[in-house]
Amino acid sequence: MRPGRQLAVLGFIFVVLYLLVFFSGGASGGWKDRLEPRLGLDLIGGTRLTLEATNTVDGKPPTSANLEEARQIIENRVNAYGVAEAEVVTEGNRNIVISLPGQNRDLTNVGEAAELRFRKVLKATDGSGAAAAPAPSASATPAPSGSATPAPSGSVTPAPSGSAAPKATASPSAGGQGGMAPTPSASAAAPTPSASPSAAAPSPSASAEPVPQSIEQQRKAIEQKVGAAAWAAASGLQAPADLTADPSLADKLKPFGTLSPQEIAVLPVGMQFNVPTITCQQLDNRPAASIKDENQQAVACESGAKYLLDKAKVLGTDVDDANAVLDQTSSWVVSLNFTGKGQEKWTALTREAFNNEGQACDQTALGQDGKCRVAVVLDNEIVSSPEIQGVLTGDSQITGSFDNKSANALASQLRYGALPVTFEPQEQQNVTATLGDSHLKAGLLAAGIGMLLVIIYSFFYYRLLGSVIFLSLVLSALLVFGALVVLGRSIGFTLTLAGIAGMIVSLGVAADSFVIYFERLKDEIREGRSPRSAVPRAWVRARRTIISANAITLMSAVVLYIVSVGAVKGFAFALGLATVLDLVVVFLFRHPIMTMFARTRAFLSPRVSGLGRALPARSAEPGAARNPRVKEA
Amino acid sequence: MAKSGLASRLYRGEADLNIVGRRKLWFAVAGVLVLVAVLSFAVRGFSLGIEFAGGNSFQVPASVGTLEQAEAKVDAALAAKGGGAEVVTAQKVGGTSGEYYELRTGQLTAEQANEVKTEMAQSFGIQADQISGSQVSEAWGSQVTSRALLGLLIFVAVVAIYLILRFEWRMAAAAIASLFTNLVLTAGIYSLVGFEVTPSTIIGFLTILGFALYDVVVVFDKVQENTRGITANNNQTYGEAANLALNQSLMRSLNTSVVALLPVGGLLFIGAGLLGAGTLKDLGLVLFVGMAVAFLTSILLATPLLVLLKNQDPRISAHNKRVLARRGAIARGEVTPKGAPRAAAATAEETIDPEAAALAGAAPKVGARPAGKRPSGARGGRPAGGGGNRPGGAKRR
Repeated sequence: MRPGRQLAVLGFIFVVLYLLVFFSGGASGGWKDRLEPRLGLDLIGGTRLTLEATNTVDGKPPTSANLEEARQIIENRVNAYGVAEAEVVTEGNRNIVISLPGQNRDLTNVGEAAELRFRKVLKATDGSGAAAAPAPSASATPAPSGSATPAPSGSVTPAPSGSAAPKATASPSAGGQGGMAPTPSASAAAPTPSASPSAAAPSPSASAEPVPQSIEQQRKAIEQKVGAAAWAAASGLQAPADLTADPSLADKLKPFGTLSPQEIAVLPVGMQFNVPTITCQQLDNRPAASIKDENQQAVACESGAKYLLDKAKVLGTDVDDANAVLDQTSSWVVSLNFTGKGQEKWTALTREAFNNEGQACDQTALGQDGKCRVAVVLDNEIVSSPEIQGVLTGDSQITGSFDNKSANALASQLRYGALPVTFEPQEQQNVTATLGDSHLKAGLLAAGIGMLLVIIYSFFYYRLLGSVIFLSLVLSALLVFGALVVLGRSIGFTLTLAGIAGMIVSLGVAADSFVIYFERLKDEIREGRSPRSAVPRAWVRARRTIISANAITLMSAVVLYIVSVGAVKGFAFALGLATVLDLVVVFLFRHPIMTMFARTRAFLSPRVSGLGRALPARSAEPGAARNPRVKEA
Repeated sequence: MAKSGLASRLYRGEADLNIVGRRKLWFAVAGVLVLVAVLSFAVRGFSLGIEFAGGNSFQVPASVGTLEQAEAKVDAALAAKGGGAEVVTAQKVGGTSGEYYELRTGQLTAEQANEVKTEMAQSFGIQADQISGSQVSEAWGSQVTSRALLGLLIFVAVVAIYLILRFEWRMAAAAIASLFTNLVLTAGIYSLVGFEVTPSTIIGFLTILGFALYDVVVVFDKVQENTRGITANNNQTYGEAANLALNQSLMRSLNTSVVALLPVGGLLFIGAGLLGAGTLKDLGLVLFVGMAVAFLTSILLATPLLVLLKNQDPRISAHNKRVLARRGAIARGEVTPKGAPRAAAATAEETIDPEAAALAGAAPKVGARPAGKRPSGARGGRPAGGGGNRPGGAKRR
């Protein structure tokens, strides 16, 4: 009847939950794998980093749209580490949390400010590390993913004839940065690629600013690592070495291929570019912000081609906005607006590129139309390197073979450069697998001990009724476990040590609702009701108290979950989940089972039920008179 | 015998402890303790974990040698690469998968931390990935704390609304006042004893909120039940009814507190005993302390506060006057001062058994102490100020 129906509902919930556990989407592997909840990094080992984002303009939390864009960038950066299963999520209104399960590595650099730079492409070479000589034509072709054309509105025809006048405005800047270039007038395609730029290429490290001491030391260490011969050979290179022509050189330079990205990052720019054994893979994995210095030339890669890039003359902060739009021909383009000052710089840069002034770009780096290209460099990589098709004085468009997705991706990357957000690493945790395992076992042990204590107490105090508590707790535990597995798969809930603590605390909540109910039952029996009639009455009254009390716990869990950061979230979620499931068990298990229990004779026996001690107070009550000896209490 | 008598009376909810009547005592004690706690905040402050000061910590497997050796080596590594940071604390930490040394250092940059780790790994002769580490900026702890305070405010607001809807505003006010006392006292214990405060402590601290109110809700539920329609007859003052409710739910509160403390005790045992440090210990400790305090405040503070507030209600105060006047009349007219209030006090009609007789004998004793204070208290402008006292007992003297 009724109790039976409630138990049936509970059974139904169980069946559905465990069907989900075993057969829902994402369930795979053997039975054991399917039963595994998602464990947090502090339990299985791994790295977690919390970054706090701050709006650079006003120091307030960034807008949610900005935060989401920032999250995507961070995700891209983490993925660039070649890490599988990295998880990057936003938390609260200003945190980004990166989790790398099972891996122990330093992540604090991913929070380095994203550096968007516009740099003229000076030279190109093959970056695959193959011994083949860089074919100039081959290196140029993969690159032109797009080419900048003046936007229709701003199509102030940048005619070559007009180059005389602009030259005046452009020259100061060109002179300023190209000062050490011996041939500022290398406007034509330089016949000898090595001649003019080679002098400039190594120069930033030599003559620009004094190299910081630590970098000098690191270079020394690398010199020792690769061997003096290799170092000397690399330093002597004036242009990308042709290894097919000189096999012995290939042998000498081989050690460079084994350097770590961090080591590559401290090498002189010329060396990074000229040594063919330094691959794009190494370059792409350099620590974030390795090439952020705008006053230094840099080396970066795009689609396997290695580019030597000029100093950055336009920065990400000069970008006002970037959007993916459809142009008149219904092809996707990325429109680009600059800030007032940024526009001036951009015009100067495009003029320089269009006319090939200043630091000359090499023949290898020219676009299809024979014009210089400007690379859009985000962090260590080139996101796009359009050929400049005019002196751009207004809004610009990057055209190319974009589709909706790639145009939006580029626009978002461009915008990100303008994103006024900085990151500060707040908390980083590296947990080794053994330490994580130890945490997990300790947590489970604590849960076991807590449960055992509660069960011992309830058997001691409520005798046979303790078995109802015991069964309910087991049921709760099974429900919680199933929910953990399912939620881990469906919404990505991970169980952390704090979460286990939340579960343990919720044991108290679960047991409390029993105490309330049983004490009520005692009251009713003491007031002279037979157990059979006392059970429903006590239930009605206790239900009210239990619901209010659990509602309070639930409120605290929900509020905590919404506002809190860090481990608190997992704790609050676990506490809330367990409290809700406790209510389910209270309504669908304990009440019906007590109703059924009340019909048995054993229920009346004080020794058995633990309620009997309430009876002798009423000597008039026949039920109590049967057991006068329970006086001892 | 007397003790078992009390236990058994407690069990049946008939302990008849005069808690509401002695509320001045509780308020005074609570006031002094709060004052001590606040003074301690000001003078001693809190001992904050690295999460607040900013810093690094490394966990090295204990297999590398003794703690002193480990500390010396880490110090050496720090001197070499750490840019002036030093080991702040070094501690052996247990675990089910072997023991660890936990070494806390001053703040290092990410590069320094990595270099120090590599250096440590070399000097210990282990792989760098066997060393766990964590790094916390000084802003992290304050971020956690400010979010926690925000959470606290929102929670109090939400709960106040809930309690007002579920009960009434006076109950909500009493519950929240006792909640704050609870928080202040718990924080006071932390400050006085010098327990370390970590973000985990703050989490636990917020969880106490739920539990402190849990107990209060249980008691108030009973109070509400007992005082429903109390003004319809003249048997009981509000304070007496509340005290009765308190006694009736005392065992329930005690039980819920014990049962809630048991798993937390397990947490504390594993956290402090086995692991020695970390999330479990911090959480376990703050919950244990906070829940113990919550039990006391919910019994000794929340209901007396409620009675204090309720007695300000004109309807209740008029009712209390009526009750007292009627009792005065009974005392003057008939000679049954003892039977009437007793029967009224216990809604559960008990027949006289030995226990009850002992109880009745004890009753004057309970009333005796406040009787001395009565003149000052009751005449202090609050007609029903001594509502919880046994007027019968006082009259008898």
